[in-house]
Amino acid sequence: MNANKYLTVTALTKYLKFKFDSDPNLKTVYLKGEISNFKAHPTGHFYFSLKDESSKINAIMFSSQNKKLPFVPTEGMKVLVRGRITIYETTGNYQIYVEEMLEDGLGNLHIAFEQLKEKLSKEGLFDDIYKKQIPKIPSKIGVITASSGAAVRDIITTIKRRFPICEIFLFPCLVQGENAAPDIVKKIEQANTFDLDVLIVGRGGGSIEDLWPFNEEIVARAIFNSKIPIISAVGHEIDYTIADFVADLRAPTPTGAAEMAVPNIVDLTHNLNQMKIRLNEAIYKQINYKKLYLDSIKSSFVLKSPMIMYENKQQKLDNLIEKLNQIMNYKIEKYRITLDNIKNNHILVNPTNLYKTQKQELTNIISKIELLNPLGILKRGYTLTYQNEKIVKSIEEIKEKEALKIKFHDGMIYCSIERKEGLDGKQKS
Amino acid sequence: MENKNLKFEDKIKELEKIINELETGNIDLEDSIEKYTKAMQLVKECDEQLKNIEEKITKVVLENGETQDFQLEN
Repeated sequence: MNANKYLTVTALTKYLKFKFDSDPNLKTVYLKGEISNFKAHPTGHFYFSLKDESSKINAIMFSSQNKKLPFVPTEGMKVLVRGRITIYETTGNYQIYVEEMLEDGLGNLHIAFEQLKEKLSKEGLFDDIYKKQIPKIPSKIGVITASSGAAVRDIITTIKRRFPICEIFLFPCLVQGENAAPDIVKKIEQANTFDLDVLIVGRGGGSIEDLWPFNEEIVARAIFNSKIPIISAVGHEIDYTIADFVADLRAPTPTGAAEMAVPNIVDLTHNLNQMKIRLNEAIYKQINYKKLYLDSIKSSFVLKSPMIMYENKQQKLDNLIEKLNQIMNYKIEKYRITLDNIKNNHILVNPTNLYKTQKQELTNIISKIELLNPLGILKRGYTLTYQNEKIVKSIEEIKEKEALKIKFHDGMIYCSIERKEGLDGKQKS
Repeated sequence: MENKNLKFEDKIKELEKIINELETGNIDLEDSIEKYTKAMQLVKECDEQLKNIEEKITKVVLENGETQDFQLEN
């Protein structure tokens, strides 16, 4: 037997390891399975197996990778891992070195939840400014949930107990499974074609997968777009879904949603009675106030003694009349004096004076005129001498051979000239 | 002067408004009587609505938009 034919275990193992490591398919393997024999070593590394119904593989996840995990792997947990397959030479076992691990289903859902929550939050779908006011006293309520089960029963019985006069419209829908989300969306849209005051959208408790439709983006957007205010009521108090964040009001449970949606009729009746009392008191106060006001007016000085109002006016009128009389009298007196003055005027009193004066003046003028009359001068001894009907003023003008006419004041003489002589006695010719 | 178009909540709101006005404002007598009369009518209507406990039957809305009476399963 040729010993050279025989490989060492180490050589074989190295060979196999080389084969594994050089296979690209084994460099990145996506694997799903259930965790078993989980051990967290004090060094921080995780040692476990992944198994399904019929097979098993050893797995190791180093602390550098596993410290980023958002969850602690537990026995029996279904996980999705990514890693590389290689051989551990010491034991000759092949195993997967896990680089990334997600919880199968649940884990993905958590990530999807966080991602959608962040996306919608950034878009502002959860912002308070979009939250619609939930009416205090609705008359019509829409309920979107499964038509059977605890949720619909809790909602309807709670509403009927608290506020039986309210009308309920049930929009039955699927609340779990793949078709639930589109169905919920459809019902929200359908409900919006009804005249409803508020909508309750929800379901009873369940696993995160069961509640998942209420984490779907289309449901979130349908809730956001609803014109009718929406109260979300998904699962139990501890369960938060995307629907809860985008709804106008989040109720911890379906029963809670019904309590938030309607008032208690007993409280309402009490309030209404209180209002009636307040109303009566208010109107009494109003009327009483008017009455007091009226009384105060009635008892006012003027209304009590209306004569005062009259007296004042009378006095004013009297004053005015007196003033008027004074003014008129003053005017009359003034004109009377003026008239008297006119009457007392000299001319009017003795009109003959004017005549006498004028007569005297006339006499003066006449005597002046008489003085100037040449015939008057003749009376004083002067005469006028004419020759040939012309007055002669100098001896020079006189012709000796012609006759002269001398005019006196009382007649004329005709005479002839003897001789002409100057004042010096010399004869003129 | 019934307020049939008004919803219960609007009636209560209107009532609150009138009461506040009557309690705080100095309103004309005619106005306050008118408001009081209106408020009393609202009170009466609300009262009737609350006392009318004729139970409303829950309706279920079908896919086609029609409604039917709904009974809870036992």
